[in-house]
Amino acid sequence: MSITTPNLFAYRELITALAWKNIVVRYKQAYLGLLWAVIKPVMLMLIFTLVKSFVGIETGDIPYPILTFAALMPWIFFQESASEGVNSITANTALIKKIYFPREVFPLTAMVTKLVELAIGFFILAALMAYYQILPSIHALWVPALIFYTMLVALTISLFGSALNVYYRDVAQALPVLLSLAMYASPVIYPLSLVKAKLIDEQAAGEWSNALYTIYNINPLAGIIDSFQKCLLQGIAPDFNSLLPGFIATIVFLPISYLYFKKAENWFADII
Amino acid sequence: MPPIIEVKHLTKEYSLGTLTSAKDTLRHSMAKLRGKETWHREKFKALDDVNFTIERGEVVGIIGHNGAGKSTLLKHIANITKPTRGEITVNGSIAPLIEVGAGVSPDLTGRENIFLNGAILGIPKKTIQRKLDEIIDFSELEQFIDTPVKRYSSGMAIKLGFSIATSLDADILIVDEVLAVGDLAFQRKCFDRMETLINKEGKTVLLVSHNIRQVSRMCSRVILLKQGKIIIDSDPDEACTAFYNENNKQIKSKLISAEQEHNNKVELIDIQIMSPEGLNIEQININDPLNIRIKIRVFSEIIKPEVVIGTHTTDFIYLTANSTDTHETIDNFSPGEYEILFTHQNYPLKPGAYGVRMNVFDQNRNTLFHGENLIFFAVDIDKSESKKPPLRLIDVEGEFRIQKLTK
Repeated sequence: MSITTPNLFAYRELITALAWKNIVVRYKQAYLGLLWAVIKPVMLMLIFTLVKSFVGIETGDIPYPILTFAALMPWIFFQESASEGVNSITANTALIKKIYFPREVFPLTAMVTKLVELAIGFFILAALMAYYQILPSIHALWVPALIFYTMLVALTISLFGSALNVYYRDVAQALPVLLSLAMYASPVIYPLSLVKAKLIDEQAAGEWSNALYTIYNINPLAGIIDSFQKCLLQGIAPDFNSLLPGFIATIVFLPISYLYFKKAENWFADII
Repeated sequence: MPPIIEVKHLTKEYSLGTLTSAKDTLRHSMAKLRGKETWHREKFKALDDVNFTIERGEVVGIIGHNGAGKSTLLKHIANITKPTRGEITVNGSIAPLIEVGAGVSPDLTGRENIFLNGAILGIPKKTIQRKLDEIIDFSELEQFIDTPVKRYSSGMAIKLGFSIATSLDADILIVDEVLAVGDLAFQRKCFDRMETLINKEGKTVLLVSHNIRQVSRMCSRVILLKQGKIIIDSDPDEACTAFYNENNKQIKSKLISAEQEHNNKVELIDIQIMSPEGLNIEQININDPLNIRIKIRVFSEIIKPEVVIGTHTTDFIYLTANSTDTHETIDNFSPGEYEILFTHQNYPLKPGAYGVRMNVFDQNRNTLFHGENLIFFAVDIDKSESKKPPLRLIDVEGEFRIQKLTK
């Protein structure tokens, strides 16, 4: 990131303007306007709560609806930042062919747009917390760092994906499928504590249990969602053991993804 | 001071043919790994070893046929795409006057689009705020500025785009065929705005246009491209004349190849501009005789035919027209080939390029043949010309009477 920051700083006005345009355009002719941004997580929360009443998921002392809502917030932010980021280059063909500015502006803009929707989600979360009488603790201050980390993860996917999508539109087709699979591999419907209990405490997979738990945590969203819930709802510090494998993966893949993007960028206008 | 734009050995190749699918790419990289021959896609050189430098304040026109590489060249200078070989150095900020539509979002209002487009073109928000009134004023859209652009007519959207783009404060302006926008009054305004930018603010301008008269009027230098190569890089007159000659060759070869497509009563076989000595020429001097020789083939009998031969400017303003009917009717045409010799004793128009048109009518004035741009010829400057006032098409005697009104 350090390579792009000084350069991109000059383009902050552009990113702001484009993100603002995305939001205005999306909700301008909609009667419910920005409310649509929170309808998706709220609906999913209700569905999961309904399902949970049939199958029974151990959630500890946190009520399930708010637990799953706190999981859906970072998840949906990540999922939509990544998928809109991947489509952002091909969606802006007209601009790409006519004018130059660093192309990473597009995936970044897609993310900034989603950041606004995430902010609205916090109002719902606050309302839920008030309803369940949960008070945030000092550990809630971790949340901005967690969101920033989620942005890095989303960028890792969207930089590489959007560049590859210019050459092969298969990427944009495959991504929604992969992302919905990834949701089940992330602690969205069930809490991470459940996975931990099965693998670490019960050693459900025998000698592979500990290794499997680490592999599960290579998915950065596992740590992010769990920490998000811990910091906001349980009032405790993030679990760095579950954050570490995903963080290492991100640190390794983000530069590769960025370099690929910068290399491919030169031919966007020719290929797109 | 270093030149503002420096282009060295610029070459751009594109692969021809269909897009590769992931499957093909995979198959061919596998084949390569095993050391086998993969298929080679044909390359097309859009630009071929192009070299030039542009100094600050120069106004350079780039002309050439469709596909000559004009827009590709501009894209490289604007950093939108990268060269296959060679390098480009640009010492200054660039404002591409993008074709309208690229940056305009239909759902936003005119005002919102001004800010969005400004951001896209890299104009700071403060500058836009300062210039907002000026931009709205220039676009003539005060009444509609808070209406979404999708409800605009296409002309209105174009006006808005041009107004935003020219409010930019960059060192180099890149203009690709955008001056032909809006109604005539607005075109005039755009033209004036461009001339202000060029003459008063001393901007460096790169202009691509098919309107050669516009190019030769605005530019101090013209580059003629053909198949990705620079043919001529010189003053506007020389380059534009060369361009017309190029055009002639192309049109001639088309005429001959298209011969069989005619099944009308009359077809054109050949057309030439002749010198008084009967040689084939492409340019004449002012007030020289203009001799046109045309060969036509007549397929069936035409009773009381009428032939009209005229000249026009390259933008189709009809200048002369002479008909065989003016004095007397000519003999009926019977099937076979005819040669028509036509002469203007002196062709009085000023330097520039002009086209020839011809019509053939039957006795009821039904059109049997109609063609414009059949051949171009250039009128060249004679030596006395440099002393005369510039920018005029014809010499007409005029008389001045100047008297002082106030005492």
